[in-house]
Amino acid sequence: MARMSQKRKREAIAGYLFITPNLFGFLVFQLIPIAVAIVLGFTEWDLINEPIWVGFSNYRNLLKDPVFQLSVRKTLYFVLVNVPVQSALALLIAILLNRSIRFKNLIRTLFIVPWVSMAVAVGLTWTWIYNSQFGLLNEILVKVGLDKIPWLAHPDWAMISVIVVNIWQFLGFHIIIFLAGLQMIPREVEEAAIVDGASTLTRFFRITLPLISPVLFYDLIVNVIGTFQIFDLPYAMTGGGPGQATRVYNLYLYQKGFQFLRMGEASAMAVMLFIIIGITTAFFFRVVGRRVNYDLT
Amino acid sequence: MKKPLHLVGEVCFYLIIFAILFVYLFPLIWQFSTSLKTMDEVFRGFSLIPNKPIWENYTISLRDFNVGRYLLNTILVAGLITVGQVLSCSMAGYAFAKLRFPGRDFIFFLYLGTMMIPATVTLIPTYVIVLELGWVDSLAGLVIPFFFGNAFGTFLIRQFLQGVPRDLEEAAEIDGAGYFVIWSRVMLPMAKPALATLAVMTLVQQWNSLVWPLIVTQADTWKVLSVGLAAFRLFRTIQWNTMMAAVVMATLPMIVILFLAQRFFIQGIQFSGLNR
Repeated sequence: MARMSQKRKREAIAGYLFITPNLFGFLVFQLIPIAVAIVLGFTEWDLINEPIWVGFSNYRNLLKDPVFQLSVRKTLYFVLVNVPVQSALALLIAILLNRSIRFKNLIRTLFIVPWVSMAVAVGLTWTWIYNSQFGLLNEILVKVGLDKIPWLAHPDWAMISVIVVNIWQFLGFHIIIFLAGLQMIPREVEEAAIVDGASTLTRFFRITLPLISPVLFYDLIVNVIGTFQIFDLPYAMTGGGPGQATRVYNLYLYQKGFQFLRMGEASAMAVMLFIIIGITTAFFFRVVGRRVNYDLT
Repeated sequence: MKKPLHLVGEVCFYLIIFAILFVYLFPLIWQFSTSLKTMDEVFRGFSLIPNKPIWENYTISLRDFNVGRYLLNTILVAGLITVGQVLSCSMAGYAFAKLRFPGRDFIFFLYLGTMMIPATVTLIPTYVIVLELGWVDSLAGLVIPFFFGNAFGTFLIRQFLQGVPRDLEEAAEIDGAGYFVIWSRVMLPMAKPALATLAVMTLVQQWNSLVWPLIVTQADTWKVLSVGLAAFRLFRTIQWNTMMAAVVMATLPMIVILFLAQRFFIQGIQFSGLNR
């Protein structure tokens, strides 16, 4: 600092002043809470009495807790159904829309209407559509001569019904991303393949897919990370039920922390979620990441 | 070049697209239709257009189910956070993009490093902070933890301002402008598209957010729409028509803003999905 010229010094002071509000928020509501969560994970604490240091026992108890195991399985199931179906559908529609097209802005905008809509609100809308007695879906089923389905009322159906809503809500978001990725593919490559007589399917697997693989890969990772943290829809639609059918990870964490006031265990769960997401992401990078083609884009 | 599509083919193409969109958006159409029906009509079976639209469902929902209060709270909370985030992120984004100061790259690296950490991790400690400050069930408790911005917003503004040529700053400096003037008179006008993108992304995110308001408000006074609506599920008898009226009021404002600011939403999505 001592050797800095007057101008550099003034610039540095200005720099610190400009980042002060942001850095304050970052430290107090991001960085310090992360550190505190890790520490709290080693304690037992009900918010009222003093926290007690318990070492790794929260983690040991959680791993033995059948509801915890169930919530991990439920969440994995959610991710494994949601992400591939959502990506495939979005890619399909994006390819359909990837041409010089009229009403392009209108169409793109209409596709993201569910995405800007409050998850709790659309969750309630779908709860009405799924209603066993009077809901729209069962009315259609009866009209075409099928039996009613207890969409949200039966443990066998509830999870998949919630996943469908999640796929629906975020579909447009992924369409926009894939469409932008597709538009980065040079026209000439596509045209050369057509001249060479490549079929639509060959063009998809040999040209389109490799060329948008970086966009696809990044989107998959972000989607996996986001879906692991699913909360709003199951909270608003089923509250984790019926029974434990839709008790996803964050619902159980919320229950532990804010209904049973077991802050230590809930903090340990939060840290474990981070670890689970980290492992999954690393796995993704190793298994899928190697196939991603970064050369041509 | 692609062969010009045959006219019939082209009409079919648009028919398919708009048919897909109709099915895709039908839940929202159905929601609006239900919100204007009587309860008799709601249970009578399929009809899209209500016999006589019952707009009273909206006033009932606003008054008797406290949705009016929730709506005002939501506007206040989401609005304040958006203003705070845009200001704070535009200042920090400018500093990270244009000013040199010791530790800059390290701090920015820390920002990026925490972007992948799930929000759940900070939830309990942040709640403890707010509890200690006595901010449970208050506007401060809802707003302050998000008011100062986040890594995403700072990153967005920084990326944008890095593309602004140095000549502009230098010209302003020669004119004797200080850093504050450069920020407010040169950078902010240049960064308008990025600021608008950040503003709409933050607004939607905060308008719709559930987890934080859910844990930080217990009394009705400061409940926001997401929290108030989520409690509807627990009512013994559900008035589907007034409930759908509340749902329309919770979603329509963001849909209107989406149509007014389409470009910035698309840019925001592309930024969050395409930067590598």
